This record gives sequence, structure tokens and C-alpha cells, in this order.
Amino acid sequence: MAIAELARLKLRDGELENLQKEVSNILDYVGQINAFASADAYTTKSAIRNVLRDDAPRLAGDVMFKKREAILAALPRREGDHNVVRKIIQKDE
Amino acid sequence: MDLATLSITEALQKIEAKEITSLDLVRAAKAHIDKSNADLNIYLEVFADIEEQAKAADALRQAQGKSAHPLLGIPLAIKDNILIEGRRASGASKILENYVASYDATVITKLKEAGAIFLGRVNMDEFAMGGSTENSAFGPTKNPLDTSRVPGGSSGGSAAAVAGQMGQAALGSDTGGSIREPASFCGLVGLKPTYGSVSRSGLMALGSSLDQIGPLTKTVEDAEIIFNVIRGKDVLDSTTIDADTYPAHKTTKKIGVPRHLFVEGVDKDVLERFEESLKKMEAAGYELVDIKLPSAPLALAMYYIIMPAEASSNLARFDGVRYGLARVGDSLLEDYAITKGEGFGPEVRRRIMLGTYVLSAGYYDAYYGKALAAREALAREYRDALLEVDVIATPTAPCPATKIGEKSDPLSMYLMDVFTVPANLTGNPALSVPMGTVARDGKDLPVGLQLTAAHGDEASLFACGKLLG
Repeated sequence: MAIAELARLKLRDGELENLQKEVSNILDYVGQINAFASADAYTTKSAIRNVLRDDAPRLAGDVMFKKREAILAALPRREGDHNVVRKIIQKDE
Repeated sequence: MDLATLSITEALQKIEAKEITSLDLVRAAKAHIDKSNADLNIYLEVFADIEEQAKAADALRQAQGKSAHPLLGIPLAIKDNILIEGRRASGASKILENYVASYDATVITKLKEAGAIFLGRVNMDEFAMGGSTENSAFGPTKNPLDTSRVPGGSSGGSAAAVAGQMGQAALGSDTGGSIREPASFCGLVGLKPTYGSVSRSGLMALGSSLDQIGPLTKTVEDAEIIFNVIRGKDVLDSTTIDADTYPAHKTTKKIGVPRHLFVEGVDKDVLERFEESLKKMEAAGYELVDIKLPSAPLALAMYYIIMPAEASSNLARFDGVRYGLARVGDSLLEDYAITKGEGFGPEVRRRIMLGTYVLSAGYYDAYYGKALAAREALAREYRDALLEVDVIATPTAPCPATKIGEKSDPLSMYLMDVFTVPANLTGNPALSVPMGTVARDGKDLPVGLQLTAAHGDEASLFACGKLLG
């Protein structure tokens, strides 16, 4: 199913058939949304403003201050202070 | 007497009168855990240091006397999707089964400052997806009031802990009713605060435009105490608001009742309890007003488009690269797919698929775009209604707690959220308070009444809620 690929999700054996039925039932239900007359434009966009913090080191008192080791400890494949990940750009063969 | 049955305010009174200590409270809760947790499956983990926490609180109370914080030494249960530094937090998912939190959620920082005791982490639907706690990767939780029934969800462990006398109160999270519905099913008070009033830093994200953390308690007063501790602007959650973000609500002493929403689909005796409770509030000086919320019948459709869309985006982070389960396949893409496929349970996989579908090219406008527009209309209708009334009253759920296994079809489970999802879509605060019981199979099961107020107006919820207490 293309959706599973888009979702980067490997389904289990025999799961697809049931899932198609359930998802299709749910989509039928939420399809009611088409009864909504959308003359009203979606207006939330105007309320969006930038609230990102400055890209600066965490200071004492910040909950993430000195959490480097704890975060590194959670890495599934750690070598020293490095996170070992798979090569993304593969050579054409 | 059994100290575990005390509310926060009752326990505090006894502590201040030096009749009991925090250690007594912790031991009373622990006795219930030892007796029933193996059967009820409420706590996924009871922390090993609860007696040490209690002794430290008792020492601090002795030093501080009357100036001590009301939550100092009060034992709480914490939903398994809220991070406590150095402790496991799994979101009741296999994908995070062994994850140890590297920092405190902001609500935890605040509760630690107040001196509250964390008894342990409690069960929930996996990543808060569900209304029964049956979707936990670690087995369902049973309702302590009737063990053949669910405690509600997704904060089912939080509700069952308080109803089962395993903590004076609990923290839960609410994306579409996940605090209020279990509160209703377990005879408790549950608050979903105004969107932005409580920081979500350190909460595992489900639907980021919907999620709020809130308390499950035995009384409205207790909910107010916890809310006042955990609320507030936080630099770590850019969606948090200031105390004066919303204009103060002008009290009207009116309660709006959207009766057009429960012409059908609600159990008859649930509606009877509802009407009786309205009469109580009327007797206390409130005027009942019929109101209409024309877009509310579409709220469930909006919710089950927007929530999976946000969930599928939020859960994309569980890719086995930085933490959690990591499986290795033949390619990078397969690493991701196998990790998610193995790590996530059936309901999570279902919602990821649904969310991916409604966001995919060609369907986006028909589903997600439409849902956002309808959500905007719904929010306006609530805003306008709440200029005329202090609160809007509905039942919290259409029925009492269901049997374990009864709602095996996902859509039928979703329909239980009919009254709770609007407050998440609109951002309004909502409170579930007990409104009596209904009999099922010879047992009296609690049901809740839901009050919804204007943004930032939790005060009206507490004032009206106390009338039913």
C-alpha cells in the first residue's frame, strides 16, 4: 500500500486487509466534513508569528543545561561522542 | 481510617494538624498498590524511592511549618507520557520501553518545586491514542469500581490510580478527552486546561494543536490546587500563554445547554443525571439557556482528521536514530519502516496511516483543509456563545464505562469522544465533574458532567463545578 510507504511503516503480515477496511470506514465517517460550507476562509494563518528562541547555548537554570551525556546515552548506536548512522548517499551500482 | 481515601485538601489538613505525615500517606497508597496492582495493571512502575521522597517532604514541612506549599508531601501518579529526569517514560509503547528521560517536563519541575511526591508512572493508551487504556502495549488497565470494565482513556491509569486509592491525585494529558472521559468513568474530577495555559515541554506529543496536561482529582478544589501549580508561560513551550492573554470573562450567571447535540446517541439515564445536575445549578442561582453550536455535529469528523494528521507527523521522530527501539534492515528506509512497524502497536499504526492519507497530495484539501476551516467556525461559535453564558454544559460521555473488549471496532470507540473533542479543537478549558451514577448489570457506575468555559476562564469551571461537588 502506497500510504504505508509514505508513512515509512512496514505493516505486519495479514494486517493490510483489516487496516484497509478500518481506515476506509473511518474515512467514510470523517468524509462528513464535506457537508461543511467552506465559504468561511481558514483564518488561523494570520495569527502565526515567530516564537523561536535564539540559537544560543543552554545556560544554567535551563532544563536542558548539562544534559549532553544523558542525551548521548540514549543513542541506539553510540561510538564515543558520535551517533553512528547509516550512510545516506549510496554509490550507484 | 484509610488515609489513601483522603483528598489533597483533607490530607493537607491532617498533615498541618500533625495527625499524619506524608510517609503515612505514601504507605497507605502503597498498601493499595501491593494489594491490587497486579490485577488492575495501573502502575507500570512504582518508584523505589517513594519512602525517601516522603521522609524528605516531612523534614521540609517541619522546617517550613504553615508556609509550606499545599502539595508538599502529597503522593501523585504520573501518566507514562510525561518525562521525569532519570526515570523511564515509555508512553506505554514498545518503541520506548527502555527509554530513560534525560530531563524533567516543565510540569514535573513545578511539582518538584512544590514538593509533591511521585509514586510512579501509570498506564495509558499507547501514545495517548484511545479512550479505554486497552491500547497499552503493556496490557489493559481495569476500572477499580468494576474490574470487568475499562477505566476510560487515554489517561486510564491516572484515573484508576486515584479511584483505586493509589495516590491522592494524578496528572494526565488530554488531546480529545483523555483526562475528562476517564474522570467520568472513574467518578473523578478531570480538567483539560485552556490551550497554552500549561507547558507541554516534556510531554510526548500526540496532536500538538490539541494536547494539554491536566489533573485528575477527587474534588474540584484539588484540581484547582494542581492547576495553579502547573500553569504558566514557559520558554520551553512556545505555545504557552500569559495570564492576561485572554480578556477577563464577564460573569453572567448563565449556563448554556446545547440540547440539539444530545437528541440521540446518549444513554437515557445519563441524560437524567444530567438534567438533575442542571437543576442543582439552577437552584444555586444560575439561569439555564438553550444554545446552538451549529458546527459541533461535525467536531468528531474534524478531530479524526486533524489529530491523525498531527500524530503521523509527530510520530515520525521515532526512527531509531536518536533514542528508543532501533531495528536494522537492508537500507536506511527499511531501518525506519521495520523500527516503526515493530515498535508501534495496532492503533498507532492505524492513526499514522490515516494521518498520512489525509495529508497526502490530492486529499489534503478535501480532508485537512476542510477540517481546519470547520474548526475555525466551531471556535467562533464557542467564543460567541461564551460571551452570553459562563459555561456550556453537556454530559462528558454518552455512556458509563464500557466492558473490556466491548468496543473492538475503532470507529465505535472514536464515537465516545463526541462531547469532549470540541474543547480541544477550540482550545477552551473544560472540566468533568461527577454527576451521580447509572446502574449497569447490577452495579452503580459513575458518569460525569462536562463544563466548558471561555479561554482563560478556568475560574468559571471551578465555581460551577463546586456546585455539584
